[in-house]
Amino acid sequence: MDLLSALSLGELALSFSRVPLFPVFDLSYFIVSILYLKYEPGAVELSRRHPVASWLCAMLHCFGSYILADLLLGEPLIDYFSNNSSVLLASAIWYLIFFCPLDLFYKCVCFLPVKLIFVAMKEVVRVRKIAVGIHHAHHHYHHGWFVMIATGWVKGSGVTLMSNVEQLLRGVWKPETNEILHMSFPTKASLYGAVLFTLQQTRWLPISKASLIFIFTMFMVSCKVFLTATHSHGSPFDVLEGYMCPMLFGEGCGDDHHDNHGSQGTSHGDSQGALHSPLPSKSKEELSEGSRKKKSKKVD
Amino acid sequence: MESPWDELTLAFSRTSMFPFFDIAHYLVSLMAMKRQPGAVTVAWKNPFSSWFTAMLHCFGGGILSCILLAEPPVRFLANNTNILLASSIWYIIFFCPCDLVCQAYSFLPVQLLAAGMKEVTRTWKIVGGVTHANSYYKNGWIVMIAIGWARGAGGTIITNFEQLIKGTWKPEADEWLKMSYPSKVTLLGSVMFTFQHTKHLAISKHNLMFFYTVFLVATKITMMLTETSTVSFAPFEDALGRMLFGCHQRFSPRVKKNETKSNGTGSSTSKPTADASDKLKKKHSKKTE
Repeated sequence: MDLLSALSLGELALSFSRVPLFPVFDLSYFIVSILYLKYEPGAVELSRRHPVASWLCAMLHCFGSYILADLLLGEPLIDYFSNNSSVLLASAIWYLIFFCPLDLFYKCVCFLPVKLIFVAMKEVVRVRKIAVGIHHAHHHYHHGWFVMIATGWVKGSGVTLMSNVEQLLRGVWKPETNEILHMSFPTKASLYGAVLFTLQQTRWLPISKASLIFIFTMFMVSCKVFLTATHSHGSPFDVLEGYMCPMLFGEGCGDDHHDNHGSQGTSHGDSQGALHSPLPSKSKEELSEGSRKKKSKKVD
Repeated sequence: MESPWDELTLAFSRTSMFPFFDIAHYLVSLMAMKRQPGAVTVAWKNPFSSWFTAMLHCFGGGILSCILLAEPPVRFLANNTNILLASSIWYIIFFCPCDLVCQAYSFLPVQLLAAGMKEVTRTWKIVGGVTHANSYYKNGWIVMIAIGWARGAGGTIITNFEQLIKGTWKPEADEWLKMSYPSKVTLLGSVMFTFQHTKHLAISKHNLMFFYTVFLVATKITMMLTETSTVSFAPFEDALGRMLFGCHQRFSPRVKKNETKSNGTGSSTSKPTADASDKLKKKHSKKTE
């Protein structure tokens, strides 16, 4: 009985990981991405005055992850634009969201239950993109752990990592705001997901790819739907980070900035730990380093 | 009747750009660069920086298309003769005794000739970009349009970016986003050549090149003679904009009010009404002028 349920679960995961993304899931990905563009201050005004710039922004929001990943792996930046149907679909959605008479489309999409469905479907695409990105990077660099993590991360978090460029396109130039300084939940989650998928790809994680995709998708969907439904900007990682950061990086990282660096460092530490030595010794080392730092601080 | 015409356009489309048209292109680009405030002092103080900017001005479009297609961006340096040509023109323009070249250039017919010849190079660049992109992506007509546009008018993006990094220029919303006349024309040409290439436009390539070049040169010269910077597209664009994006604006005040009631994003949605009324005001003031 137990075996049977496990088998069916595995089959479910396998069939889930083979669902084609193109029309429906991609559609919801585009809708949610362009919706976020419309939420940006000044975006509507921009679309009236400079439709071309607004369209380019929308394309960056939809395909930013591909562009960044292509940039990192030295492939043509414009590669994804050869998928005519995707670009046309995204353009149509951009047009509908910004210029639909009476703003009907926007209102329909913004209706919370509908939006929750789209958000959930977007997370499905995100996880799939991370997996594909890591597979792609693995194809280029068989032992390039960091390459795989970086590619997966970039694929998952998309345009938020190039927000400065995207703002520049909208005529806003604020180099002091940066996604890396204030990582949002999707960015962090993509980073962790990229680490997990990398571990799976290099066979350190004894789990099949399909089930990892399934589990991680469930996690992302539930988190993101919960966050969207409650309109909160926090993240489930806050508790964990609040616990880990003082341990790894000493005290005084209560504020947001340090926190984020902490999370990044942790994940890299994880992967390194798995690469060279079992994890506990690594964290012990870091722990002792932390205590040393504390001591030196006291001496100061 | 048919064959001499075809022969003419065919011969025209086979004209080599190399010595004369390229010289005109470098001349016009570098004179535009010299007109920018501070360019001359930079050239005296830091010649290498000025030279680099000059190269970006001359080869910017090619660099942008190389970046987009993941080719080495410094490929333009491999073309030694063109680099030497552009460098010598840069040297003559900035360091010629008594500013002879500038004085000669300020003579209007010379300017017209150079500008006309520069527009010819634009056609050739667009065609080159479209065919080059087609060799990578057979069906990617969006890519073809983008690369054609980048080759033809992408130089301004590269030079703006260079200025941004130098810190001499901050993106003001309007200056950066407003598409200049050359970039609009290039976009149009790029679309046309792409459709010609994918056989959606039933016209032979050399004919299209000829007509497009004539159109470019004619508009450029009329623009220079009448000293206007935006012509020919304005009414057409207005109509198109009203058709595609404008039907919304009539409804906008009512809609936006509803929206601000229904959800909390009032700050972002209340702007367009102000914007639309601003535009109306502007139009009115223009009319009264």
